[in-house]
This record gives sequence, structure tokens and C-alpha cells, in this order.
Amino acid sequence: MLRRGLGPLVAATLVAAAAAAQQRDSRLERLDSTTRPIVAALVDSARAAALPTEPLVQRALEGATKRATGDRIVAAVRRLALDLDRARDALGSTASPPELTAAAAALRAGAPPAILTALRRVRRESLTVPLAVLTDLVATGVPVDSAAAAVLSLAAKARDTDLVEFRRTVERDIALGAPPASATAAAAAVQMNAGAHQQRPGRP
Amino acid sequence: MFEPDEELIGRVVRQLRRPVAVDPGVDARVMAQIARFPARPGPGTARAGWRWLTRPRTVRLSPLGALAIAAACVAVVLARPDRDSHPAPGSAREFGFVIVAPRAATVSLVGDFNDWDAARTPMQRARKAGSVWTAVIPLSPGRYRYAFLVDGVSWLADPAAPAARDDEFGTASSVVTVGGS
Repeated sequence: MLRRGLGPLVAATLVAAAAAAQQRDSRLERLDSTTRPIVAALVDSARAAALPTEPLVQRALEGATKRATGDRIVAAVRRLALDLDRARDALGSTASPPELTAAAAALRAGAPPAILTALRRVRRESLTVPLAVLTDLVATGVPVDSAAAAVLSLAAKARDTDLVEFRRTVERDIALGAPPASATAAAAAVQMNAGAHQQRPGRP
Repeated sequence: MFEPDEELIGRVVRQLRRPVAVDPGVDARVMAQIARFPARPGPGTARAGWRWLTRPRTVRLSPLGALAIAAACVAVVLARPDRDSHPAPGSAREFGFVIVAPRAATVSLVGDFNDWDAARTPMQRARKAGSVWTAVIPLSPGRYRYAFLVDGVSWLADPAAPAARDDEFGTASSVVTVGGS
């Protein structure tokens, strides 16, 4: 009786061990022995919550390469996991990993979650670039509200290339001395007018 | 100016109205020539062909033969050209990175796209401008953090790219965003 039941049990154990080994990321070997299990546990928790794990691994690897202390690496990974979770709450469960990564950065930059949700409503295409442009504008010194309003006004119809061009225009005008909020509003108006006048099906 | 004479017209009309004598064997010769041309398939032939195609038949097949046919079908399906092999909008695009580092002996590009591995993407020194270092890598749509590692010890952010705002490790990084449209 015992021998008959032992086979399936051993097989199940082997399958579980193989699955666990497959999920363990060998790249985390670059972390020190104290930090590695904590980061691995954070990655496992994210995976269990159906969050993207690659950004967490990359953040840990960045810390390792930059010779950050274990505490700082763990704190950074934990904070990113929380941001990814908040991002998914704002964008919904259908958001792609690149969208969630960009949304987490936008939240970290100070964008309110409601803006992310509004962007999801108005734009049918990927939100990765609009969210990245929003984050980059804030990093350039544009107030969050101004950046969010501009990106939201453009997001419905602008293509990714248009949004990147918009960001470059704002950055250039700021470098030339324009106040960040004014530069953003002006560039958004120009971009919207250009879109309204062109009305073309799209560049090749 | 020409005025047709009534007498002339009358003679022409009479000549045209004269009966023509035809060889009595001409009909038979014409019909014989026509008969030499191959006959086109008529509606009756098509109907017969359709009946042949639609008539149920019993096909006898051994299990081995059935397996061979199934394997052939699988092979055909697997061997078909991949329709997604062309780069679709949103697939990987090549991005060039440039940094000016006049006194550097080595410069590496490190970031989210190469596991922050300094050995993975060494930058090349430009031949004409020796202080300029370049690297070109394919990137899929997404947002990536990166930095330049000079001589294995000094970190530099990309002055031509947006700065990474959430820099938690004490050295500056940059971000590159790859769009799909």
C-alpha cells in the first residue's frame, strides 16, 4: 500500500522541485547571500500576484552592478513592487508589463493614479510612451499637473513618435529659457493643431 | 461633280439581282471542314464531371497510412512560412547610444536591456573622433534605465536623454523609451 502510494508522491515532489528550480532566477546569484533570498522572496511574491517580475530583477541587478548595499537594493525592489501594484490598480489587469513599468515610474514621479486611469480610458494604443513622456517631463521640471494635462490632451490621437517629439520640443524650449509649464502648454497646443490640420492616416 | 445616270444605275441593279449559280457540293464540303474542329465540352460534360466529384466513395486506409497522412499534414503546417517573421510595428528597433569620454580607456553600456552586465555591451571608440564612444543595440518597445560605465569605475548618465528620476543607488541613470507607433 505504502509502496504503491510512494511513486506518485515522489513524482509530484520532483515536479515541484523542478518547477521551483526553473522559477529561481540564476541572475540573482550576483547578489550577496543575505540580499539574494529577500529579493527572491519579493520576486516570488510579485509573481504570485501576477505582477511583472523582470523590472524587479533588473532593479536588483542595477543595485548589484552599482555596488549598492543590500539594504538599499531590497528597499528599491520592494518600493518598485509596490509601485507596480499601484500601477496595476490604476490601469487594470489588462495592462502590459511595459505599461506597468512606465506607470510605476509615473507614479513615482508624482502622477496621481486618476491620471493613469484617465489615460487608459482615452487611449486605445499602448500607454508606455505617454506615461514615459509624462515622467520625463516631470523630471525636466514641468509641474505634474501641467505635464499630466498636456499628455492627457494629446494621448487620444497622438502617435508615440508625436509624443516623443512633443517631449523634445518642451525640453528644448525649457533649455532656451521658457518656463516649464508654459513650454508644455505651448508645445501641446502646437501638437494638437498639427494633428488637427494634418488629418492624415499615418506616416509610413 | 458627278451626276449618276439613271440608265447606269438600272443596269447595275439588274446585274446584282441576277441569280448566282452555286456548286451543289459546296454545302457538303463546308460541313466536312466544320466537323474536323474538336468539339467543346458542353453542359452535359460539366454535369457529368460534377457528378463524379460529388459521388460518395468508400476509401480504404490502413492505420499506418492514416498516420502517414496525418504526419504529412502536420509537416505541411509546421513548415509553412512564418507570417510574423517580418518585424511588425512594435517589434525591436535599433537604438544608437553615444557618449563623449576623451580620457576613457573603456566604456560600457549597461542597463535594463543587458541585465546591467558591464561585459555585455562594450562601446566602440569612433575612428575619426577618438573621444566619442558608440553602441547600437536592438530594443523592444518599453522603458529602459541605463548608464555608461567608464573604465569600470565611473558611472555617467546620458546627457542627451531624460534622467531616471527614481535613482536609489547614488549614481545617475538615464531612461530610453521605445514606442510602437
